[in-house]
Amino acid sequence: MSANKSDAATPAQHAVTGTPSGSLHRPSELAPTVDVSGLIDAASGLVDRAVFTDQAVYRQELRRIFAPSWLFLAHEDQFHKPGDFFTTYMGEDPVIVSMDKQRRVHAILNSCRHRGARVCRADFGNTKNFVCSYHGWGYDLEGSLVSVPFENEYPETFRKSDWGLVEVPRVESYSGLIFGTWNPDPEPLVEALGGMAWYMDAMLDRDPEGTVVVGGVNKWVLDGNWKLAAEQFATDWYHVNMSHASALMVMSPDGKPRDEIINRPGRQFHDPKGHGAGFPVSPKARFDDQAVHKWTDYDALRARLGDARVEGPLTTGHATVFPNFSYLPVNGSIRVWHPKGPDKMEVWTWTILDKSMPDHVRESQRLYNLRTFGPSGIFEQDDGENWSEAQAVAHGFVTNNVALNYQMGIGTEKEDGTYPGVTTSLYSDAAGRSFYRRWQELMGTPAWHEGSDS
Amino acid sequence: MSEGVRLASIDAIAVGEGVKIDRSVAGTADDIALLRDDDGQVYALDDTCTHETASLSDGWVEDGFVECPMHSSKFCLRNGEVSGLPATKDACPHRVEVRDGEIYIFPGEAP
Repeated sequence: MSANKSDAATPAQHAVTGTPSGSLHRPSELAPTVDVSGLIDAASGLVDRAVFTDQAVYRQELRRIFAPSWLFLAHEDQFHKPGDFFTTYMGEDPVIVSMDKQRRVHAILNSCRHRGARVCRADFGNTKNFVCSYHGWGYDLEGSLVSVPFENEYPETFRKSDWGLVEVPRVESYSGLIFGTWNPDPEPLVEALGGMAWYMDAMLDRDPEGTVVVGGVNKWVLDGNWKLAAEQFATDWYHVNMSHASALMVMSPDGKPRDEIINRPGRQFHDPKGHGAGFPVSPKARFDDQAVHKWTDYDALRARLGDARVEGPLTTGHATVFPNFSYLPVNGSIRVWHPKGPDKMEVWTWTILDKSMPDHVRESQRLYNLRTFGPSGIFEQDDGENWSEAQAVAHGFVTNNVALNYQMGIGTEKEDGTYPGVTTSLYSDAAGRSFYRRWQELMGTPAWHEGSDS
Repeated sequence: MSEGVRLASIDAIAVGEGVKIDRSVAGTADDIALLRDDDGQVYALDDTCTHETASLSDGWVEDGFVECPMHSSKFCLRNGEVSGLPATKDACPHRVEVRDGEIYIFPGEAP
């Protein structure tokens, strides 16, 4: 349903949201379009640092990357009964994801239609209505406006049905993961995932019963452009040996440097839609906690997912679903890099587990993830430090004019007959080049609300 | 009316929850909110909040009070007295009895 129904008599509607706009007309100077074609040279593996620092580029990302793309919202396990809700962001837009009385999960813009405050300030919970604490406009679980204090003071033309919360027009799930998009006519989610879905299944489809969320959502703020994190999870095993050297020593079974950690065979996949995943290839590559190892039935996994997936993307890999959803299959860590201006991001992470796992295995996996990729995890801290370091100097005039190198593995992209789609070796920038090629493509494409030739 | 009007089985209302009973069943002017407090006691108030149109049976029931789910006005379960803006008028209470697990209302009788 739409929260913004209008009949033929209704005058102007806003191009982005379909909401009444009267004679409002935003001048185009407020939304200038930057030609970014010269900021990415994917063929040569060069990226202009302005993509990480420029405010106009960032504003355009909100309009042309985040508004039209499928964005991760929540896991289905967060909604069990009517009124269950979770608040998150799509780009910088606050949204409420909730289960209505028909047990349908949908998403609505968390901003009152009256003066714009959020109508839900809680992180998650269960409620009957969403009521703005400013003047008391009250909305039901579907976002319809149902209560306006002093409604009789409004003109006769005022109709509550015109003033429901703006609904995210499309919400779809893939294997328990809920995505939404502001684009009213997008390609279906599964098509947008493209070749990435096969790799995602190595985490989401291990268990016939699916996955569940354990614990709460961890959130922290980092200095750094959101793309630094997103591209790394798509393309960057390279940093592991250097950045995580101390953590790898802690994880080493005998506490000694081991060649198989450093010289790790593996593949890296990239999809033309901008998604990417890298993974060691080895039957014994999993770093899992022992309790998880003992519980896991590898023969059953091989029968279910095939040898290639069990030995590859089910191992200690990394992955990004374009633009800003990433995951680590072995840890069950899924995360969103929420953009907060060109220089800042919020990291939101969930831990998901196979539903069949008994309690002691769940607890073991939860703690394993907390130790490695929780907010103070021994790996996570290394990553955040790198992103913030790169961002800290990126605004320097000379610094900002020096192109960055994404040339690793150029020319090695191929179909290897084992892993579907185009892959390279594990140590490669190919998925990074693909990520920025897709970014460049979308940044140069008018979004649905801009018309076809603006 | 000495027997009261049977409305519902007590088991039909979870502790800390409410159910709405249609006025045609209760024989009352407004629909009735049957509200079950933390301690298991059941109370009956007119269902419509005295502030704006909202159903008290959807409200939050706790510690002898129901809080309206719309604008958070608070009413005493026992006597309907309002104890928080934006509502300013008390909710109308009705006496109820529980016999053999069934809830009976005595419309208009003070509890």
